[in-house]
Amino acid sequence: MRNTMKVAKWEVKRNLKNKSFLIGMFLTPLLMLGGYFIFQWIGSTDVPDDDAAVLLVHDELGVFEQLEAIVAEQSLSLELEQSDLLESEAEEVLTDKENMAYMAIDKRILDNATVPVYTSEDMGEWFNYDIQALAEPIQQIRLAQLSLSEEELAMVTEGVQFEEHVEGTLDEGTANEEDTEAANILENLVPGIFAGIILLSIVFTGMMIFQSASQEKKDKIAEIILSSVKPEELMQGKIIGYFVLGIIQVAVFLALVMPVAVWKIDFPIIEYLLTPKLLLLLLIAVLGYLLFAAIFVGIGATMADISTAGNFQGMIMMLPFLPVLFIGPVIEDPSGFMAQLGSYIPFSAPGVLLLRLSFLETWPWMEIGIALLILAISVWFFMKMAGRIFKTGILMYGKNATPKEIWKWMFID
Amino acid sequence: MEVMLSVEGLEKSFKHKKVLQQITFDVHKGEIMAILGPNGAGKSTTIRNIMGILYPDEGSIIFHHATGKEIPRHKIGYLPEERGLYKNVKVMDILLYLADLKDYPLKKARERAMAYLRKFDLEGKENVSVEELSKGMGQKVQFISSILHEPELLILDEPFSGLDPVSQDLFKEEIKNLAKSGTAILLSSHQMNLVEEMCDRLFMIQHGQKVIYGTLDDVKKQYANFKCTIRGRNERTVLEQLPGVERVEEREGLSILFLLKDVNPAAWLRNLPAELDIHELSIDRISLHEIFVDIAADKHLLTEGGQAHA
Repeated sequence: MRNTMKVAKWEVKRNLKNKSFLIGMFLTPLLMLGGYFIFQWIGSTDVPDDDAAVLLVHDELGVFEQLEAIVAEQSLSLELEQSDLLESEAEEVLTDKENMAYMAIDKRILDNATVPVYTSEDMGEWFNYDIQALAEPIQQIRLAQLSLSEEELAMVTEGVQFEEHVEGTLDEGTANEEDTEAANILENLVPGIFAGIILLSIVFTGMMIFQSASQEKKDKIAEIILSSVKPEELMQGKIIGYFVLGIIQVAVFLALVMPVAVWKIDFPIIEYLLTPKLLLLLLIAVLGYLLFAAIFVGIGATMADISTAGNFQGMIMMLPFLPVLFIGPVIEDPSGFMAQLGSYIPFSAPGVLLLRLSFLETWPWMEIGIALLILAISVWFFMKMAGRIFKTGILMYGKNATPKEIWKWMFID
Repeated sequence: MEVMLSVEGLEKSFKHKKVLQQITFDVHKGEIMAILGPNGAGKSTTIRNIMGILYPDEGSIIFHHATGKEIPRHKIGYLPEERGLYKNVKVMDILLYLADLKDYPLKKARERAMAYLRKFDLEGKENVSVEELSKGMGQKVQFISSILHEPELLILDEPFSGLDPVSQDLFKEEIKNLAKSGTAILLSSHQMNLVEEMCDRLFMIQHGQKVIYGTLDDVKKQYANFKCTIRGRNERTVLEQLPGVERVEEREGLSILFLLKDVNPAAWLRNLPAELDIHELSIDRISLHEIFVDIAADKHLLTEGGQAHA
């Protein structure tokens, strides 16, 4: 174990002294933050208040206050001004103006449902969308003419709402429970996203194990190292070392992104994060890492160079991305057949489980138990196989192992 | 002399082909023991079995100073034939890491590393990245890494391959010094002249089997008969009929007469017929090199006391 830890420490130290690793570690969260701030800046400058179109409203039907309320409520880029200007004068007034419009609300609405709008030559690009939002109170005036009862009026204006019920997750919520429902969703989603970040990060650093193992062959140092440590110790040291590097990466990521997230996002992230459920999600992430680390270290030991990877190795390298196939079906139905299938295939299990548990309110403990058992057995099996491949493969300098050879190392030698 | 390592009845097969058969030898404290043989004879396989990188099918490897069954890795220094270093790390970092893996105190390792870097003309290179070193410099660093932790047993697989003559001498001197100070050294090499200059005992191997094993002096006495090289035009049959001549080889105007083991060179010279055409003549012992080439070529023509050796 001491030697394992020495190898792990070395891998961590070596990478932390490596400029490209450091740049990558800090650049990813900084780019994300930079991107976030740039979008926010563009968002805030794109439709500034100064650019709000001035809409002169000639109101004969007394809806101006309602219109103003809509503008405020929907943050429309409109500045309403009540005006006595007659329609005949409007054109003349608007000729030398910019971003200004005139609207006449009079009995023509009742007669032929038209509201004449005059605009200056240059208008903001959102103007046409924004005035559509003003249609509702005007429509109300028309409906009022139909002499409907208040109930009938309410029915007509309410419109139709689609209410989705998913079998198995059916939880008859009422409007009063909406807040708690939202909280429940966040309760699972936040730890799920967190564990997902950890899984992704350690799987990505885990891919560096592959490079590290094949580099060992390329640099021809494996035999020197193996004169001091056992092959299993070297392999385990690499797996632990890159796990620590992954965690360091997550820590740096969180240290940079979390304060901004807590500041900018309006709900108590930390409170939702630190729940007992997080522990199970982290366990899934760690098992996922160990599975892929075993695969990467084993395959890395069979290849002298990534550029010479054959189809066989290439396909195995793609295994961690298997959950991508399940994302659609799982989000659509987190308890459906595809979601269950994905949970029982060890390569997709970590991703699919994290995704499902982030969306499901009631956790299917039986399924989780079976999936974890399959995952744990797979980790054990793949570690054992990787150990066998590593022992022989790492010393085959300058040559890629064939699938036949790999099979032989795993099951015959 | 105190025995440090014993290899007894080592056997190893790859794909049903025996690559080592009944390999048995000892390495003593303070001696340089050479393991010789042509490519593919089984030298590196023997060494890898000793180091626990391969596992023998039969036989045993005993480290006399170790307790327990484990290989005392921290007491062994090893320079493999195929060797390299991590490219993107500093020289001192890799030296200290390798010393740390051998459980050697870091402070002492740093001091010794500095001393050796000075000795091998690499002063000031401790903070240079390995990839910036020349091939020769890299080999020196590899050599330093194998001896930094003061090993009791040093195993060097082809330590001189790819070295320039100056570095060769440097390595040779250091290996001799280590032996003098008590390190047991097992060394494999193709450079027979170097082996002849350095080793105390040798084990020659061919097709995974022992061919010669003993001290250098004994081997020379046993195998190295005299040979007489004559430049001149002489009939091969005449030369072959001379007394004491075992066989004759002719190449590039030279005739090489291999003499029987009990031939007295002075007496034999006196009895040479006057009619021989002699422009040049030299007489010397068969070198280790010739024994080696003979074995490598599977000629089976050399004799041990007049009999075929294999």
